[in-house]
Amino acid sequence: MLKKILFLLLFVMLLVACSNEDASTDETDDKDTTSETPSEPADPFGAYEETVTIAIGQEVDPSDTSLQDGDTPLDNQYTRHVKENLNIVVQHAFTASPSNYDQKVSLAIASNDLPDAMVVGPVELRQLVEADQIADLTEVYENYASPAIKEIIDSSSGVALENVTFDGKIMAIPNSQASADGVHNLWIRKDWLDKLGLEPPKTLDDLKEVARAFVEEDPDGNGQDDTIGLAGPDTSNKLYANFLESTNNLYGFDGIFSALHAYPGYWLEGEDGKPVYGSTLPETKEALSFLRNMYSEGLIDPEIGVREDSGESVISGNTGMFFGPFWMPYGPLTDAVKNNPDANWQSYALPLDANGEYTPHLSTTTTQFVVVRKDYEHPEAAMKILNNLLANESEFDPSIGGPGFYPLRLVYAPADEMEVTTVALREVLAGTKEPEDFYDMPAYKLLKSDVDHIHEVKLEPYDNTDIEYWDPQANLGQWTRAYSALVGTAPLVDTEINGVKSLIYSQTKTMEDRWVNLKKIEDETFLKIIMGTESLDAFDQFVEDWNSQGGEQITEEVADVVAK
Amino acid sequence: MRTKGFAKHYYLMLLPGFVWLILFSLVPMFGIVIAFQNYNPGLGVFGSEFVGLETFRYMFQLNDTMNVFFNTIYIAIMKIVGNLIVPLVFALMLNEVRYMGLKRSIQTIVYLPHFLSWVILGGVLLDIFAYGGPINQLLGMFGIDPILFFGRADLFPFLVVGSDVWKEFGFNTIIYLAALTGINPALYEAASIDGASRLRLLWHVTLPGIRTTAVLLAVLSLGNVLNAGFDQIFNLYNPLVYSSGDIIDTWVYRAGLLNLQYELATAVGLLKSVAGFMLISLSYYLAYRFTNYRIF
Repeated sequence: MLKKILFLLLFVMLLVACSNEDASTDETDDKDTTSETPSEPADPFGAYEETVTIAIGQEVDPSDTSLQDGDTPLDNQYTRHVKENLNIVVQHAFTASPSNYDQKVSLAIASNDLPDAMVVGPVELRQLVEADQIADLTEVYENYASPAIKEIIDSSSGVALENVTFDGKIMAIPNSQASADGVHNLWIRKDWLDKLGLEPPKTLDDLKEVARAFVEEDPDGNGQDDTIGLAGPDTSNKLYANFLESTNNLYGFDGIFSALHAYPGYWLEGEDGKPVYGSTLPETKEALSFLRNMYSEGLIDPEIGVREDSGESVISGNTGMFFGPFWMPYGPLTDAVKNNPDANWQSYALPLDANGEYTPHLSTTTTQFVVVRKDYEHPEAAMKILNNLLANESEFDPSIGGPGFYPLRLVYAPADEMEVTTVALREVLAGTKEPEDFYDMPAYKLLKSDVDHIHEVKLEPYDNTDIEYWDPQANLGQWTRAYSALVGTAPLVDTEINGVKSLIYSQTKTMEDRWVNLKKIEDETFLKIIMGTESLDAFDQFVEDWNSQGGEQITEEVADVVAK
Repeated sequence: MRTKGFAKHYYLMLLPGFVWLILFSLVPMFGIVIAFQNYNPGLGVFGSEFVGLETFRYMFQLNDTMNVFFNTIYIAIMKIVGNLIVPLVFALMLNEVRYMGLKRSIQTIVYLPHFLSWVILGGVLLDIFAYGGPINQLLGMFGIDPILFFGRADLFPFLVVGSDVWKEFGFNTIIYLAALTGINPALYEAASIDGASRLRLLWHVTLPGIRTTAVLLAVLSLGNVLNAGFDQIFNLYNPLVYSSGDIIDTWVYRAGLLNLQYELATAVGLLKSVAGFMLISLSYYLAYRFTNYRIF
């Protein structure tokens, strides 16, 4: 008898467990058909009458120490602004550090337990759409996107919206960032160069010599053999930016690859006019050979690929060179300069190719997307939060809380934002224009505050950007911004850039299943070739494997997409 | 009647265990269907389309699959051997220590790492073996160039096994020490009177005395062959050592949860379950054969 009862009990529990899953799937199906009708007239900036809460997934950088006075990632100038202006209370469904954020997003997708809204990349977006997990934002975008955001999104000639439109529906809100994010300059400790009597390295051979001097000649003068010539990628960064993540790669070797006309990770037009994958081309092998050589001579950080954060050695003053985008002052350089006021980090459009030209790879303007969970009652809240950011960004002081603490932050910038800013600052400094001349350019949201404050942080002579002619202490937030423009972006303004674009910046069908494995063998093989644990000829085996394990088919699909 | 009523309590005590087993071990088995589907979390297992053995075909095409299976078994077997021999030898040595205070303090010190998580120990180990860390500084004194220990695929399995044995040997020693106390002291006395040396005592009295324990532990650990230690490897590895350090669990974690290849991860996980089932059956049979240990 007892046995029977026990088994009955177990059986019932099993049924319950199964039918629970049943119920939850039914529920989502139902919600599919309910259409969203806005309950109040659409107003991009209107506050809700009743408080609306939104639980978001947010990236929180634990090393970002800019929050002040007991502020938290959930209670700071940004969240208070959102509450006061829009009556939206922000909550966290989850938070994760930058290196773990993608993992956390993937976990949320895999477990079908999404926050009300979050920022995702192109791969996750496609996954979410296919899994039918996110809301159709077509009406939200049409009714609630502010004119300024629409203007910026339209300025990318349709690319941004194309990336989020699936079957004619807008499934996410795209960002649109300055093209400067996609160019990876060479950053050098100019004070080290000066100390050793060296010039910025024009060619790859120069680069090697400078790295050698930085490693061997004790540029920091502490008598110890502790300097790194060229930093390498840490565990959360890549050897080079690729077509899916074409911007903001820190400490990679992008500049070295492009100086040899190698564009690994990019889809290029082959000699026969058909698409080819840059990682499989002989130029890439040559670049790998060059890097392998540098590594074996100890000119590259010996701990590439194992290091948790390459920025630490930049801050502590052990690194002499690295590749990174214009905004590195927002990254480790502010702390590096705080640590050592003589750390004269300057950026250059170098190294050059054999013809003396600068040939970096270029990015797409749209890399990040805000998505809204399917059953969330106020999908327009996410849009309003973004409108609010673009309209008010210049009022916030980044030194009492970095912009990363803004909920659902997407970057909205005209493609040439940084270049325009740099030129404007130079004209104001030179006295050829007044700050007032730049007041009426709303899309360039920070320009007004940039030109108003430049005299606080930049000292004379205005055309010399060495660190001793700056006053970071006067206004650290403005210094970061102005240094990013006058030092970080200057090479993009002053140099003729013969950039290379990828043929596509999004995934095709077969990539969904096969790309992970292909990218894995690519990443591992290349890293091992550089570090000398695999022979250079492992490259040929990689090309063969790549083609046979799905690469050929994917190349055909890319050709189809490009032909359209 | 009486005995039946008595048994009721035992069944009742079994209940929580059964509930646990069903909720966390049997119900999730249902998820295996994902391996035969084109799984989509939005549609769930009921809505996703079935694709048959497609995933398995792809799985066997990958270089990874065999590699990962090999790593798992290789690392697990080395761990079993290490975790068997080192504590045994250590227990025998500790048993010879006559000063109780010393014996107790050694015992306490060596089992401390058992209570630290791999998250903490992983960080400590990575620092100790870092390029500028103490081990490399030590090697530097002998004129050896620094070695990037955790970046070397050839060294990684040994570092994993070594650190695991180091973490656990103190705790495993306790089991042997307990078994040693179970040996009848009269046997030692009798052997001594017969003129046996200390080595002879060890060989003819101590070792036979704990043979059953050792064999049982060895046989039971066979069932764990496919669990090479997710926590540990996850906290220690990096892309450079995937080739020799990636085990089934870490691979499934990356493929399934990070890269959203649910079908593939489930298929590999299923293969692991099948192999694990066979190994458990084998170890159960062996345990019965050698030590007469049986559950039913």
